[in-house]
Amino acid sequence: MTGEALEFRAGGGGALDAWAEPDLGNPWVRQHLHDFRAPAKTQRLWRTFMIIGAATLALGLFVAPGRVWAAVLLAGMYLIGLGLGGLFLVAMHYLTAAGWSVVIRRVPEAMVSLLPAGLLAVGAVLVLHPSLYEWIHAETGELIGFKGFWLSYGFLLFRALLFAAVWLGFAAVMLGHSRLQDFDGDVDHTRRNVAVSAAFAVCFALSYWLANVDWVMSLEPHWFSTIFGVYNFTGLFAGSLACTILVAHWLRQQPLLRAIIRDDHMHDLGKLLLGACTLWAYIWFSQYMLIWYANIPEETVYYVQRQAGAWHPLFLMNPILNWVIPFFVLLPRGCKRSGSVLTRVAFVVLVGHWLDLYLMIFPSVSPDAPSFGLWEAGIALGAAGVIGALILRALGRAALVPLKDPYLQESLNHHQ
Amino acid sequence: MSHRVFMSIHKREEDILGIARAARQEGLNIIDIYAPYAVHGLDKAAGFRPSRLPIVCFLLGLTGAGLKVWFEFWTTAVNWPIDVGGKPWNSWPAFVPVTFEVMVLFAGVGTVIALFIATRLWPGKRATIPFPGVTDDHFALVLEERDATFDPGKVRALCERYNAVHVEEREQEIVP
Repeated sequence: MTGEALEFRAGGGGALDAWAEPDLGNPWVRQHLHDFRAPAKTQRLWRTFMIIGAATLALGLFVAPGRVWAAVLLAGMYLIGLGLGGLFLVAMHYLTAAGWSVVIRRVPEAMVSLLPAGLLAVGAVLVLHPSLYEWIHAETGELIGFKGFWLSYGFLLFRALLFAAVWLGFAAVMLGHSRLQDFDGDVDHTRRNVAVSAAFAVCFALSYWLANVDWVMSLEPHWFSTIFGVYNFTGLFAGSLACTILVAHWLRQQPLLRAIIRDDHMHDLGKLLLGACTLWAYIWFSQYMLIWYANIPEETVYYVQRQAGAWHPLFLMNPILNWVIPFFVLLPRGCKRSGSVLTRVAFVVLVGHWLDLYLMIFPSVSPDAPSFGLWEAGIALGAAGVIGALILRALGRAALVPLKDPYLQESLNHHQ
Repeated sequence: MSHRVFMSIHKREEDILGIARAARQEGLNIIDIYAPYAVHGLDKAAGFRPSRLPIVCFLLGLTGAGLKVWFEFWTTAVNWPIDVGGKPWNSWPAFVPVTFEVMVLFAGVGTVIALFIATRLWPGKRATIPFPGVTDDHFALVLEERDATFDPGKVRALCERYNAVHVEEREQEIVP
């Protein structure tokens, strides 16, 4: 009887060793984590998607400009959501002094590279096709009071530049500290990022709210919802967690990372996704219920349109994809720990997030019936290609694991 | 019900994890493990079956939500219908917030009560602590001496390999 027990002890005597944690002090392992390159086949796949998207864009701008520009706006908001969401997750990681998430932090950091691409897409809409916003042509006095002042073209562009500068500035500082730490191992980088994250949290809340009012809500300038910013934030939260889960799961195909990013980390990401989706549903229903209860025509028009005709099934599909499926599937512990279940749910949430934005943007372009065809599908595929290609490229820019983060050991030992 | 138990006291977290795993591999029957704090991975090491409280919690939530929907429907649409803003009597969006709250109430409070029942904890109950140190800086593994194949000498040797500071056999009340 003792032989077995002895062997077990000689093997290192603990559950930790059963998972064969790689030695991060080993120079070969460190080099390997620094020199990560995505397989050429995967990169080609995403590039193909990008080319399809670019072709659709080039052709569609002449054939169906209205629909294509709306699709570009949707893609831009989607990319900004994932990019800013990545930055938000990194900021929350620092603000809560989280230890568990160090080994997956490079994933949301890589997602931040989507931010400039998203800003470019929205910027293109604002500069090249502002007539997507009907208020651009409004006669003076048609939008009364403060709204008339707020929704003026010059001021809109100024705000867009301001938001872009704030977001990109915070991204550069936070990612800069995180990556520098890989080389000098200075704990001060962590301390500074905590302070920067606190400032970011405040600026992000205000700017993302106003950006959504400017770029999405003003598509229907007479309609308003004070919870619109929070609503979009919850979509960003769930969407960026779903994206993090997919990328982290893909990274685990690397034998080295399979032992570093373990089921326990994925389990926690699954819990967060469950919570984020429920928060989204809470806010989605809050917006709906208040408008339904008060029953004021200038507010209900938004839902009346979305519950008419062929829009109705899509409207109902939205809470199903974004809450019902993730909530009930992710409730059992086993499902959150199963890579195949968790990634499928994450994919559903990402599709749901696209539908959510579609339902905000497209009813102003094609009010009578939802338009979905070559143009929308092509641009969506292109956006997927941009997401995949940019994240893969950004992952190669820094070590896959923050090697000198003071909390690294805590994260490696993370247990459920 | 009283059983003959074997108790082994350890000072370090790694040792209690190790002995729990080793005891399970030896086919020994672990009655319980006492620790001053929650040791991560201990339930897995000892092979305890997963808690059934989540299922209780889910069913309680479902019960609370169901009862609430039925009650609100009965009050607003059946027993005393009132016209609110011209809306239909059985307007489900109006039911959602309170249904949510009652679901949380049932699931939250009910799960705590279910935990108390399952672990036989009630106000005024006397604690059964096998060794005073387990509330401070010791870990205790309690094994059941099930039958004649239990060899205290061998088990003692096993425990000592995991740096047991104290080993003893005694009669103990067992909470199933």
